[in-house]
Amino acid sequence: MSTFLSAAGEVDALEILHAARCTDGLPVVIPTPERVSRMVLASGLDGDVVLGELGPQWGSATVENVAVAAVMAGCLPDYIPVVVAAIRAICQPEFDLAEMQGTTHCIAPLMIVNGPARSACGDIASGFGAMGPGHRANASIGRALRLAMINIGGARPGESDMSLHGHPGKFTFCIAEDEEHSPFPPLHTSLGYAMEQSVVTLLGTEAPHSVLFTGDADDPDSADRLLNTVAAVIANPGSNNSHLGGIAAICVVFNPDHADVLGRAGYTREKIQHILSERAVTPRTQLAALNPLMLVGEEELIPAVRDPSKILLLTAGGAGLYTMVMPSWCAGPHGNVAVHEEIELDQYCEVPTRAI
Amino acid sequence: MRDGIAIARSGLPAVAFVTSAYWPQGNFVAKAEGMPDVPRVQLPHPVAGIGRMAMADLADNICALVLERLSDG
Repeated sequence: MSTFLSAAGEVDALEILHAARCTDGLPVVIPTPERVSRMVLASGLDGDVVLGELGPQWGSATVENVAVAAVMAGCLPDYIPVVVAAIRAICQPEFDLAEMQGTTHCIAPLMIVNGPARSACGDIASGFGAMGPGHRANASIGRALRLAMINIGGARPGESDMSLHGHPGKFTFCIAEDEEHSPFPPLHTSLGYAMEQSVVTLLGTEAPHSVLFTGDADDPDSADRLLNTVAAVIANPGSNNSHLGGIAAICVVFNPDHADVLGRAGYTREKIQHILSERAVTPRTQLAALNPLMLVGEEELIPAVRDPSKILLLTAGGAGLYTMVMPSWCAGPHGNVAVHEEIELDQYCEVPTRAI
Repeated sequence: MRDGIAIARSGLPAVAFVTSAYWPQGNFVAKAEGMPDVPRVQLPHPVAGIGRMAMADLADNICALVLERLSDG
């Protein structure tokens, strides 16, 4: 069971939580027993069900503890199935959560939601500004994961979270795929799920790196040029991915216009993955000139992503000129891979959403 | 610190090197992993990139301390 704190009122309670380093630095919704109980009820699970343990502190992520984080983050009860699935996902050993939380690198779990949960669990944005402010579900679901990583996992900057500069996505980092405007099957179907399932996919990534590209319908090579441009950003010669052997996964988020350029040219997800893996390479001589102590292997052309299947491709964002590349850490015992978990909507119990 | 803990858990003598900037994190990890007393030696920060001569001097300076930690207990 949770430890209860007492305060004269919500203003005092907030100050207590700030002082105890239980917040992300922003105000939180006070997790009163009533609010937490409602969130637990909405999950359809018992509060003492253990979803996993969160490193580096190895705190027990019970449904109740996760509900506390969701309340603090400002989640509506509708959102809890996504939060529960995300917690289960990051508890998978392959995610290397303890190491990820402690690294000096700037990495945060990017949450990608696919399937009916995009609308069933709030309205998780996939269009303009999906990674930015203004979308309640995106903001609070991603924040709930972070608050769980702080309060259950014990990640606090300068003590157990040693990221040198932090990462804006450590406040929240959650998007949905724009499946309706994608020429490709949804991301989760490429991971073995059925179209009608809801899935959250997580990958520890850096912040988005922009790719500028203008398509040209008169140019038969337009799609190919787009992929060259994306590959050039992936193969950033200053990145971990280029220097550490290309073992990690990365994420590429095409805006609907760029996805359309590729779709009209007949490119499949698999073909794009292979092309990007082949072209996102850096000459050994260039890396040697930049960072000679970090060179690995013997290859003349060093790939930023060695395994094409580790390139997560999806469509999201507003229509326009920019696609986003999210490079990664490329370290940890499992090499920074993506994990995924089904969002169990049939467990959800509808409760009134009126604030209390 | 995690490497030192993993090696110690495997039954091999181990001493973790932790620079001063990361000493609090090392203590946190050692406690969280259930081995608060795992042997460790504090190094000045930084160690990475200090050059061969400075690295050799550092090794000379901490050698006795490392042997002492290995002999503890």
